[in-house]
Amino acid sequence: MPLTFIDIERQKNWRITLFFLVLMVLYLAVVALFSAALPGPLIVESRFWIFLVVASFLAAGIHFWFSAANAVDTVVRRLDAQPPDPKDDIHRMFANIIQELHVVSGNKRDIRCAVIPSLSLNALAAADLKGNAVIAVTEGLLSRLTRPQIEAVVAHEAHHILSGDCLETTVAASIFGTFSSAMEKIRYTSSNRLFASPAFLLAWVLLQLGYLLNLFISREREYRADAAAVRMTRNPLALAETLHFLSRGWRGAGFIGSGFEMLCIVNPMATALDETEGFLPDLLSTHPPLRKRMDLLLAMARVSVAELDSNVERRSGEKQADSAPNYFAMSPRQQWQGPFTGGELDVLPWLSPLTWVATGEGQSAERAWKDPLINAIFLRRLAGETRTDSGFTCPSCRQPLATAAYKGTQVFQCSFCAGMLVENGKIPRIIARTGRERPCTERLNALARSVLQQNQTRNIYRKVSAHGAGPVPLLPCPKCKNPMYRGFYSTAHLIEVDRCSFCGLTWFDQDELEMLQCMIENRLLPEVPLTV
Amino acid sequence: MAGWIIIGIVVLGILWLIVIYNGLISKRNDVQGSWKQIDVQLNRRHDLIPNLVSTVKGALEFEQDTLEKVISARAKAVGASGPQSKAEAENMLTQALGKLFAVMENYPDLKSNQNVMQLQEEITSTENRIAFARQLYNDLVANYRTALQVFPNNFVSSMFNFQTEEYFEAPSETKAVPAVNLSIRK
Repeated sequence: MPLTFIDIERQKNWRITLFFLVLMVLYLAVVALFSAALPGPLIVESRFWIFLVVASFLAAGIHFWFSAANAVDTVVRRLDAQPPDPKDDIHRMFANIIQELHVVSGNKRDIRCAVIPSLSLNALAAADLKGNAVIAVTEGLLSRLTRPQIEAVVAHEAHHILSGDCLETTVAASIFGTFSSAMEKIRYTSSNRLFASPAFLLAWVLLQLGYLLNLFISREREYRADAAAVRMTRNPLALAETLHFLSRGWRGAGFIGSGFEMLCIVNPMATALDETEGFLPDLLSTHPPLRKRMDLLLAMARVSVAELDSNVERRSGEKQADSAPNYFAMSPRQQWQGPFTGGELDVLPWLSPLTWVATGEGQSAERAWKDPLINAIFLRRLAGETRTDSGFTCPSCRQPLATAAYKGTQVFQCSFCAGMLVENGKIPRIIARTGRERPCTERLNALARSVLQQNQTRNIYRKVSAHGAGPVPLLPCPKCKNPMYRGFYSTAHLIEVDRCSFCGLTWFDQDELEMLQCMIENRLLPEVPLTV
Repeated sequence: MAGWIIIGIVVLGILWLIVIYNGLISKRNDVQGSWKQIDVQLNRRHDLIPNLVSTVKGALEFEQDTLEKVISARAKAVGASGPQSKAEAENMLTQALGKLFAVMENYPDLKSNQNVMQLQEEITSTENRIAFARQLYNDLVANYRTALQVFPNNFVSSMFNFQTEEYFEAPSETKAVPAVNLSIRK
């Protein structure tokens, strides 16, 4: 029978009543424990016990109502989830997918959608006693999955909400779970004294109970939601691919706090218990083994796991085959772009000798100047320049340096990376002329300030961890080709420069010379006096 | 005493009849309701197409033929009535749109145009909704048909003259039957 016929959303669940009873017994136990310290005759009286039961009932009722009634808002707030941005293409697609699933389920219930600002791969659903429901998906999941795959994930979560089992998990999670994630925070941040207080004892018991709750959450519901997702989207392969993908990614452990894991499509903490079967794991685990879930889905699609694997690989292989002699290049925004042919590389405005270039997927990346074919492009570009060649080569780009005028004196500048080679004797001159021509811009000031701050922390760190070798190799001197010494310009001016002490030359990367000038002009100095 | 028993059986029989009758009615209403849902989504698509056509018209000067086909297919689909003819007209429209999207792939200007991409996403979403609404409709029809035909219900349905409902047929190209050779080789 189609899901739409099952109107179990209004059905009251016996488990929710059970949660309430557990909570009440808990309060009763705690209150009774403390009253044991009271004088003897009071305990024997029956009126006292009636009072205790009523008090714990009220306390449990207040706790229950405040945590369960607005559970959806609580979950959304705790995860800092935002409604999808209507101006964002991918978010709009997500909102559309939710609307599509409203259609396929017969518009039985209004479901909100939200995006969790995290790069992890996970999705969760929550519903509460007020009838609100939300499906939240992480930003990482949205950006890495294809449309049919997102559809499958959302359909899975929608079934949790429509079938009503989401309500009971959310209630459970909000009664005990939110508590437990709050507790985790306290444990890390507060002093030990707190552990002795009775409030902490109560909270600790709740935390332990939160783990025990997994007993009530059966693994079966995940299988059922998978099956329902397939019934809605008619695409078992998309869901299997998604699970396959999720099994390899970061699922948000640490970001999605404990207590919420039972709401998620895959357990954020990948535990060994989850991937095993048997009586005990079935009892204690909230999620069934991913492997088993994928097997079931693939059986529906009549595809084996090996085929799925090779499918994924073939797809990436096809892309590579299309782009036979091609290059991939890292754009200034740190994204791999391509494939480009040699001609296309030639017209890329941002291509420089320092750009990372790979000749195909899976190939190791190299700086562009190391590839003779690409290097020819730069030589051609230089041919049009009118600046005179100085006879030196740029230490990072390996292209000829041109003589240039800077603040009225002559320096050697690279046409590509805008780095500058300055004779040591000229540096004081340049610094003295800072105010002339180009004064410090807002951008340079901000840049200098952040570089200073960064270098300051790094400087201290380095002292503690005993000179770790930097990942950046030393640059050769443009004149004598010996490795240059890398260090700060001075202990007061934390700008990293490369110096050749034989030739008396200093190499400044792009903006470094300007930043040094700004630091001196505006007295941007390290805040902590640095002692050696 | 025997009279009471007979009265009891008659009352039970009537109750049983009422239950089955009501069940059938509610299933039929579900089917009709979901048909309305397909209509809603089809109209949504019809409303989006003029927007798309006017947005891409300028860039697709040399593809007037494809655009014409989309426009005429839309006009036909708007005019169609009844599940059968509607399904046919809509399939034509789906094909014409598919062709248009394929052509648009060749125009980088269009692919980088925010407006066009938004419209394309809206239409893709609407097509999914149509497919989903149709899927729901067919599921409900299958459900209703089964309810009409199973054993005790078939008496009730013929007594009150319940009609079966038509399926919304799938697009013709997906109907192609894979060729299977079942002959035994010797």
